Amino acid sequence: MLQNPLLLVALIITGAVAAWGIVDTAGLADFASYLVGIQFTSRAWFIMLAVSFMLIVSVWLALSRYGRIKLGQDDDEPEFSTVSWLTMLFAAGMGVGLLYWGTAEPLTHYLLIAEYRDPRESASLALFITNFHWGLHAWSIYALTGLVIAYFSFRRGCPSLVSAPIIKVFGSNGLTRSVGWLSDLLAIVAIAIGLGGSVAMGVFQVKEGVDALFGLEGTGMGLTLGIFVVLCLSYILPLTVDLGRGMAILSNSAMAVAGGLMIYILLAGPTHFVMGGIVQALGEYLGGVFTHGFRTFTFMDDRVGDWFQSWTLTYMVWWLAWAPFVGVFIARISKGRTIREFLCGVILVPTAFSILWFGVFGGVGFYGVLELDVPILDVVRDNVSGVTFFVLDKFPLPTLTIAAVVVAAFLFIVTSVVSAAFVLGMFSTGGDLNPSTRVKLSWGVVLGGLGLVMILSGSIDAVKSIIALGALPFVFIVLLLVVCLLKALKEERLGSS
Amino acid sequence: MSNLLDTIMNIEVFAFIGLLVWLYFKPFQTDDGERRDP
Repeated sequence: MLQNPLLLVALIITGAVAAWGIVDTAGLADFASYLVGIQFTSRAWFIMLAVSFMLIVSVWLALSRYGRIKLGQDDDEPEFSTVSWLTMLFAAGMGVGLLYWGTAEPLTHYLLIAEYRDPRESASLALFITNFHWGLHAWSIYALTGLVIAYFSFRRGCPSLVSAPIIKVFGSNGLTRSVGWLSDLLAIVAIAIGLGGSVAMGVFQVKEGVDALFGLEGTGMGLTLGIFVVLCLSYILPLTVDLGRGMAILSNSAMAVAGGLMIYILLAGPTHFVMGGIVQALGEYLGGVFTHGFRTFTFMDDRVGDWFQSWTLTYMVWWLAWAPFVGVFIARISKGRTIREFLCGVILVPTAFSILWFGVFGGVGFYGVLELDVPILDVVRDNVSGVTFFVLDKFPLPTLTIAAVVVAAFLFIVTSVVSAAFVLGMFSTGGDLNPSTRVKLSWGVVLGGLGLVMILSGSIDAVKSIIALGALPFVFIVLLLVVCLLKALKEERLGSS
Repeated sequence: MSNLLDTIMNIEVFAFIGLLVWLYFKPFQTDDGERRDP
């Protein structure tokens, strides 16, 4: 470990953040929110421009002649069937976030929008904004990062590292090696901190589910920490043995449970209302997604400005934080596909699924608010982690569905930590596809420590600020990687013509 | 003070965008340092 400065420095930085957070949680959260506030105020325009640029580049690449280029040698064939490739994409990008925010996010936006507009119009806009956060822009960030890694790994024979395209395109010299090293380091920090946040969110949700299942109240931090310990014990074994396809089975099982739950809610709930909402949301999304990508809410008041920072901007940098992690995963399963196939599959299909997901879970939430006058907005205000369970409690078989969400959330966190420890191990050992158990366990401990910090912060807003702090530098790196890809594609075209 | 900080942070972004544009149009360079014009 001592012979690998990148691994050492990355472990020290992430370990120091974890230690700081454990000793002085409020101090770290305040520091993160102060720095993120400055960045978001000064650079909001740049972040929105950057993510819109990524969507435009993705569309252009998919439609251009570059779309025919294969991610691999010209005679390489895809390793997985299209159906199982798409299923794995869902599993990678969905994670615990959709379970957590399915109903809670549209209703949170609704609370603010309804102060400015008619309630029924507000519901529609709240759903549109939620779809914007989880839609084409988010998946373009993942897709472009994954595309860069896949192209340089499978077509140009580079290691699967963030630094590899930079060194390949601009030549190997002191400057490019330094920038590459720094990029690998920042990618590691962004992944580790981002995953810590997901662990916390998942643990909060599992705790609320256990509370709801057993009718517990006021268990506070004790139960949360208990769940966290069980989670840590659950991912130690998969880190020490190579479970191979076992992890994919776990992840796909969680995905199947989530998908089954969505269909159940759609059929057991007010189906006509939900389907009507989905179709309307789809139309509004298609009509407004492009222009909304350029909205910075500059001329609105401070409340809207704060909301924009803590939601839209935070989401965009959150996707950037996850981009190297998800990018490596989707690159690995996409060898042999063309750039066009890759971009269409990675961007369009998960976006369509997200629109369905939020249409169903947000739709039943709005039905409760607008048609039944259920006090769900009070739950959104007081305890956002419990919103999903509050909704499920209003449907038949609540014990079964709540248990399903708890199991799915738990499986999503375990599989995410194990996959992230693998990717972090790979990044921090120069692209080694089989990082040692010791390296993976070290990352497992750091991820656990970061998760604990976020849990101790006790606030989802603090979690979001800390993630944004870790992810912000990655805006610059992803754009640099896109330039590397465009240059390499131009070079390939000129070389072949 | 906050205006100065804001200006500096945005100048960094402008410089970064300029750098990206320059890098995109700059001649290709291979691993061994050889330069090739597009």
